[in-house]
Amino acid sequence: MRFQYRLILFIVLLIWFSGIFVEWLIRFDNHFLFALPFLQKTYSLVCHQGKAKLFLFNNGETLTCARCTGIYLGLLLVSFAFLFKDYKKKFPVKFLLYSSVPMFADVILYSMDLYHYSKLIAFSTGLLLGSVGFLYLYGGLKNLILEMKN
Amino acid sequence: MKKYISALVCGFGAGVLQIVPFLRSFSCCFIIPLAAFTSLMLDQRATKSREKISAKKALMFGIVTGLYAALFGSFFELFITLVTKHNDIISTFPELQRMIEGFPVTPEIKTEVLNLFQNVREEILTKGFSLLYTFSVLMNNFIVNTIFGAVGGLVGAQIINNRINNPSN
Repeated sequence: MRFQYRLILFIVLLIWFSGIFVEWLIRFDNHFLFALPFLQKTYSLVCHQGKAKLFLFNNGETLTCARCTGIYLGLLLVSFAFLFKDYKKKFPVKFLLYSSVPMFADVILYSMDLYHYSKLIAFSTGLLLGSVGFLYLYGGLKNLILEMKN
Repeated sequence: MKKYISALVCGFGAGVLQIVPFLRSFSCCFIIPLAAFTSLMLDQRATKSREKISAKKALMFGIVTGLYAALFGSFFELFITLVTKHNDIISTFPELQRMIEGFPVTPEIKTEVLNLFQNVREEILTKGFSLLYTFSVLMNNFIVNTIFGAVGGLVGAQIINNRINNPSN
């Protein structure tokens, strides 16, 4: 995939990820306050936003839960790494399934009250899935570009 | 239109999941991508196709599933607001007020933002409809669901194609 496409993908993911921290961005530009209720609605479509599962920072909260924040950070970090090198390798789908196991195990285990919900575990398992998930999103986009060219 | 019947079914399901209060607590970033993936699976089953899914087809199914989810989700949300004259804007307004008061921003901006949302709140309480709220619901649903649907379609196609290549998986 050409560098321009990879850069666009990274910028889109960066904008999406930055939106999660809009309460923090308000401190730098007050006008972000107008966007806050709108963005709360946006992220509510893709996250339950349970109060107890949000990250607290500097008197602000993230707009997505720890797990979703981890997923989006994983996507962003790997997209950043892909800016420097275009990996040609195709990754077997089993990697995606294996990387989702810790996340689903965490959801099931804490739902069964085997342990208390941990933001760190939720974040880490989300980060793993997001990082691996990017490889498949990237693969899909590469296939699409290839088909468009032919 | 018949071509996208599976997208219609899955989009409807995802739209409902995004709006029903109890089910909403389970909603997460996987709802729309999973709906797109399921619509591709259903289409493969319905057409009894054993051919690999092209990225173009996966993208189209993802987008159409997202669009249907946005259409149904927005319709239900706006309809429920119209009938009940109540929604999450009303219930979270006191919290929003407290939150805005706590931000280190100029009093003018605080007043402006609060007035804006106070107007929306009053319109919903009296008429059950607010143009700004409707615009925000439609914009959010159509943009977010379409993008997440497209992602679900592109990733989902790779999973399905892998199963076609390796039937033992």
